[in-house]
Amino acid sequence: MKWATRAGIHIDRAACAWLLRRFVDPDAEFVFVTDPAEAPADATPFDMRGAELGHHHGDCSFETILRRYDLTADPALRRIAEIIHEADLDDERFDAPEAPGLDVVLRGLSMIGDDEHTMAVTKPVFDGLYEYYRRATLLGREPA
Amino acid sequence: MTDHDSPAPAVPSAPGQWVLLSYRLPREPSTPRITVWRKLKRLGVVQISDGLIALPADARTREQLEWIAEEITDVGGTATLWIAHPAALAEERRLARTMTDARTAEYQAVRAQAEEARHQPDDERQRTLRKLRAELRRIQRRDYFPPPQRRTAEAAVEALHPAHPSNTDSAPEENSA
Repeated sequence: MKWATRAGIHIDRAACAWLLRRFVDPDAEFVFVTDPAEAPADATPFDMRGAELGHHHGDCSFETILRRYDLTADPALRRIAEIIHEADLDDERFDAPEAPGLDVVLRGLSMIGDDEHTMAVTKPVFDGLYEYYRRATLLGREPA
Repeated sequence: MTDHDSPAPAVPSAPGQWVLLSYRLPREPSTPRITVWRKLKRLGVVQISDGLIALPADARTREQLEWIAEEITDVGGTATLWIAHPAALAEERRLARTMTDARTAEYQAVRAQAEEARHQPDDERQRTLRKLRAELRRIQRRDYFPPPQRRTAEAAVEALHPAHPSNTDSAPEENSA
């Protein structure tokens, strides 16, 4: 499937792309556009104004996608969603001290490479976060 | 175009880009109005007139205002996002001054709280330090034209830490040695 989002990806879009490819559509192909009107007709838009998979009711796009694809039962993904929410919206709805650091890392990445580069670098980052919170859930505490 | 006024901070010679949001929200219910206004305040917007606010344009401010615009339309209001240049430098400076004044007042309030906490007992002072660091971070996120008070507020807050030089030589009743 084809997925479209705005170019110049930051935390929410990078995390959404990772989530879509790992949990929704392993063959996901991403298109980055500067204007929502440029999105190809056969692509599903996300994290764009007017898209179903966008910000809704105070949630960021990552949270919207979790709900839309019934992924909310996974506690590791729920924890990552809280971090993405705080990194993106910074509204103190969740306690996520990881958020400001992750946000700065993503901002810096967007300064040294294009969206493909950001996606390539963040994939193992999100894989690692997912594994960390998966183990944390199993252990009931912070993994070593 | 040069500045003939008293020395000012380095200012560009042409007005920069601003992102404007013009919006209208139904009068009732009032909850969405309040939610939207809180979000705008948190972003440190300058209000140009009723239903028209502005921020210096960058990727983040533009995106944040896009989402607020979406939220406004979600609750039955109307919102349009604009990218604009103030027609004259003086206009831009007036907007920037309004924003700087607002941040200055916020920094001064933090500094006053920090100075008041100087003689609190150790654990209470640590709590104040944590609280004020968080408050500073919130203000810094919406500080687009940093005033000198930013540094003095930061210094006053950091001076609350037990390891700060001002506490290691002037706190006889504490055991930070």
